Amino acid sequence: MPKLATKEDLQAMERQLILDRKKVIKTVIICGGTGCKASRSQSVIDAINNELLTQEMESAVQLRVTGCHGFCEQGPIVVIEPDNTFYCHVTPEDAHDIVAGTLKNGEIIERLLYTDPVSGRKIRTELEIPFYQAQDRQLLSHNREINPYSIEDYIANGGFSALSKAVDGLTPEEIIHEVKVSGLRGRGGGGFPTGRKWTQCHQAPGDEKYVICNADEGDPGAYMDRCVLEGNPYLVLEGMMIGAYAVGAQKGYIYVRNEYPLAVKHSRLAVQQARKYGLLGEGILGSSFSFDVDVARGGGAFVCGESTALMASLEGKVGEPHPKDVHTAVNGLWNKPTLLNNVETWANIPPIILKGAKWFSSKGTKGSKGTKIIALTGRIKNTGLVEIAMGTTIRDIVFDIGGGAMDGKAIKAVQTGGPSGGCLPVEEFDLPIDFDVLHEAGSMVGSGGMVVMDESSCMVDVANYFLTFLQDESCGLCVPCRLGIDRMLEIITDITEGCGTPAQIDLLEELADTVTQASLCGLGKTAANPVLSTLRYFREEYEAHINDKKCPAGVCKALIEYYIDPEKCTGCGVCKSACIHGAISGEKKELHIIDPALCQKCGICINECKFEAIQVK
Amino acid sequence: MLHYVTINIDGAIIRAPKGTSVLDTAIEYGICIPHLCHVPGLSDIGACRLCIVENVVNGHSQITTSCTLKVQEGMVIRSNTERIRRLRHNIAELLVAEAPNSRAIQDIAVRCGVKKVRYPFRNNNCVLCGRCVRACSEIWHANAIGFIGRGKERHVERPLNLREEFCKGCDYCIQICPMTITPCDGPMKTGEEYLCGKCESQLIVTENIPEKCVWCELGKSFCGRYSGG
Amino acid sequence: MSSLQLESILKGRSSQPHLLIEVLQDVQESYGYIPEDAFREISKTLGVPLIEVYRVASFYKAFKLKPSGKYVITICNGTACHVRGSKLLLDQAVSQLGIQPGEVTDDGLFSIECVNCLGACALGPIASENGSFHHHMTPAKLRKFIESIRRKEMEVPSNA
Repeated sequence: MPKLATKEDLQAMERQLILDRKKVIKTVIICGGTGCKASRSQSVIDAINNELLTQEMESAVQLRVTGCHGFCEQGPIVVIEPDNTFYCHVTPEDAHDIVAGTLKNGEIIERLLYTDPVSGRKIRTELEIPFYQAQDRQLLSHNREINPYSIEDYIANGGFSALSKAVDGLTPEEIIHEVKVSGLRGRGGGGFPTGRKWTQCHQAPGDEKYVICNADEGDPGAYMDRCVLEGNPYLVLEGMMIGAYAVGAQKGYIYVRNEYPLAVKHSRLAVQQARKYGLLGEGILGSSFSFDVDVARGGGAFVCGESTALMASLEGKVGEPHPKDVHTAVNGLWNKPTLLNNVETWANIPPIILKGAKWFSSKGTKGSKGTKIIALTGRIKNTGLVEIAMGTTIRDIVFDIGGGAMDGKAIKAVQTGGPSGGCLPVEEFDLPIDFDVLHEAGSMVGSGGMVVMDESSCMVDVANYFLTFLQDESCGLCVPCRLGIDRMLEIITDITEGCGTPAQIDLLEELADTVTQASLCGLGKTAANPVLSTLRYFREEYEAHINDKKCPAGVCKALIEYYIDPEKCTGCGVCKSACIHGAISGEKKELHIIDPALCQKCGICINECKFEAIQVK
Repeated sequence: MLHYVTINIDGAIIRAPKGTSVLDTAIEYGICIPHLCHVPGLSDIGACRLCIVENVVNGHSQITTSCTLKVQEGMVIRSNTERIRRLRHNIAELLVAEAPNSRAIQDIAVRCGVKKVRYPFRNNNCVLCGRCVRACSEIWHANAIGFIGRGKERHVERPLNLREEFCKGCDYCIQICPMTITPCDGPMKTGEEYLCGKCESQLIVTENIPEKCVWCELGKSFCGRYSGG
Repeated sequence: MSSLQLESILKGRSSQPHLLIEVLQDVQESYGYIPEDAFREISKTLGVPLIEVYRVASFYKAFKLKPSGKYVITICNGTACHVRGSKLLLDQAVSQLGIQPGEVTDDGLFSIECVNCLGACALGPIASENGSFHHHMTPAKLRKFIESIRRKEMEVPSNA
């Protein structure tokens, strides 16, 4: 591969690639993201490949395996271009029909089209599907165009032209100014103004500087960064290059959490290919800017998402955070000025440079500009990755995009911001996605995870869940976090087991306040949020557990009982034979009974009963 | 040549050499800030969080540990506000509940205003202050012990739990440990988790805890030197 | 335990303490855990005190200090799977196998791991076994799955 020595080389290559691609008549795009892979999209890919060969169409049709398309609930997803026909829940058996029917003859296969759950009608193209219509897919839409193994795909789509514009025509100060004016704020959870961080790092004294991409996405239920990094690592890389140029860094690291092997692989491939084309290395695109990147893997620690802990990990040490009296932008990796940003933050940089700060800040609210990728999961119909303009309300996301409750149960709350965030009840659903507004309400935008909960979720149990998670992930260095979380968990556990007292609630609030104010790092400082927000909005559930010894949602095992509804039981005996604790007794065709003393509430009988006769009270 | 900076602690204007911590400076000038994991001569890690102070920056109070905060020109520190006292009280309370066997920790708790403990007592023999680990590493360069595990599992251990040739048998870790001044007949028994009151610590004995600083006297109970305890 | 793999992992990395985590990751991938002998070799070659190697290995979840079971049942404990009932799955695995997460059964066949989000939330709750995903799991399905593995193991006579 010839190196791209100048801006003109890059532009020429882009033009040539576009010409080559015009020769392709049809393209089959298959989602190879982890979500679809779990639905066995690899077999679909293989099957379609085989069909193309068998039907001798492999020269006229291009097969492109891409990153995540976002509509994970409907995977495996196959899209046919240029018609934009959108097929979902595709199986390997459908491959023959897709190739012989759609590709050869332009026939639409009705059974593979998306069915609108409200009207029942079939929808042919992606843009007509309500899930996609309500979104503003500035970043995610690129995933469709790009095979993550192919830097050529990225260049054919205008890739690296932002970098070229930066190193060839803009000064570092101009770039930083553009980022500042855009209003971009950190997408990893902190929401810190990106332009201000870049300015701090730029002004910090010293010739040796670093840039880091924080891909240690640790919030459970959040996988936005993974999909951007797996599907379009070049976009992130380009953002880092522009950042490095702006602050004067020569070396960069992409720190990927250990649990994302595919993201590690794709990032490493992207770096290798960029090096081959001379887009990383000495004298990039004919300028005096030299920069190289290495990909490092995490070791499996949520706390390493914290910037000082991440840098300690890069230095080969344990991920213990350090006090941040001096910002890492001034004193970071190896005690040098370090610019650390999240994956999605980096991904926003090339469009800002190309289209301008004004374009970016035209979307969103006064304090929160641009778009945000949200991982919408939980007890909702349409689970997946969605990208919305800041300012979109929670209601729009949950109902218009998410399609409302799964199973017909009433939606009760959304949890945003991961373990550092909080729960917001339905009454607050008209709040917009905005850093400051959600913070005021007791939650946060965080990294963008949004988990929908319905009446089957117990909010005390949710607080218990997050505290358990944080206790497990705490580094254990400082007393307020290590002992404080432990004691909060002790109190909440008492409450879920029916031993809680009203005095404990006061103690819990005081303890939560101490942990928030006195902890060393962000993990400890935000650890109390799940407790505080559930106490704020769902106090009646806590009171029910304490005063009435009841769990209204039917979750806390010590406070519930399984029983068989006499009106629904047919006496079939399936539950009795399924029960491994011998807790169910009854004669054939007669009402069966559960002995509460033996019942372990494992849930197996509920799974097995075909008449929904087993209830929880 | 030493460069000096001028800082303000609780209204007192103080000159301190650049590079010293706010805690060292305060102690030098007789402003007592409670601390546990700080030992003169060892690095500071900010683990116990007892030495927290308010660092006023641009009219905004940031809470940070004074042992890790280096003095800067014009710094304004408040070490004894209502907010700080409340936080210290709660932290000390957590420590006592964790390791009530230690007279030194009971003494610190008294200093921080703890009168009763609202958590069930545990019987731990270590509060992970890290004094032993740092002493072994920084003074003796033996690296025979260290922190192993994370979060709740964090504990002090020898590498691979073996008695290694690294240990020099200096016993400094034992001397410097706040737990080794045990006042009672021994650790608590299960079902008897309460303060027995047999030790000389003031925690449960008196209702009238003196307003003046008892730290300097009681703090001598574990100063890490051979002068007894 | 083959020391050749360890030698090749440590080659060219002497006196570079900052490579500790990378080295441990390579060892973990090669051996499936960090053998005790490896600790000393790593400490000597990289120039890191033995206690520090042990410290880093015990801090990060990626590093196992004991070999895993033949079948590793991984249960996703992400928030989305949690509200879809992953706790019941975990309870089922624990009671059926008689071990806690992170432990191995006495016959060395099974170990249980919990992971904080596999990123396939649409298909939750998820249990995976050695890389293959099983979605929309229920305690009943999980019990049947584990039993089927046990049956398979009993049919094939395995070397002790």
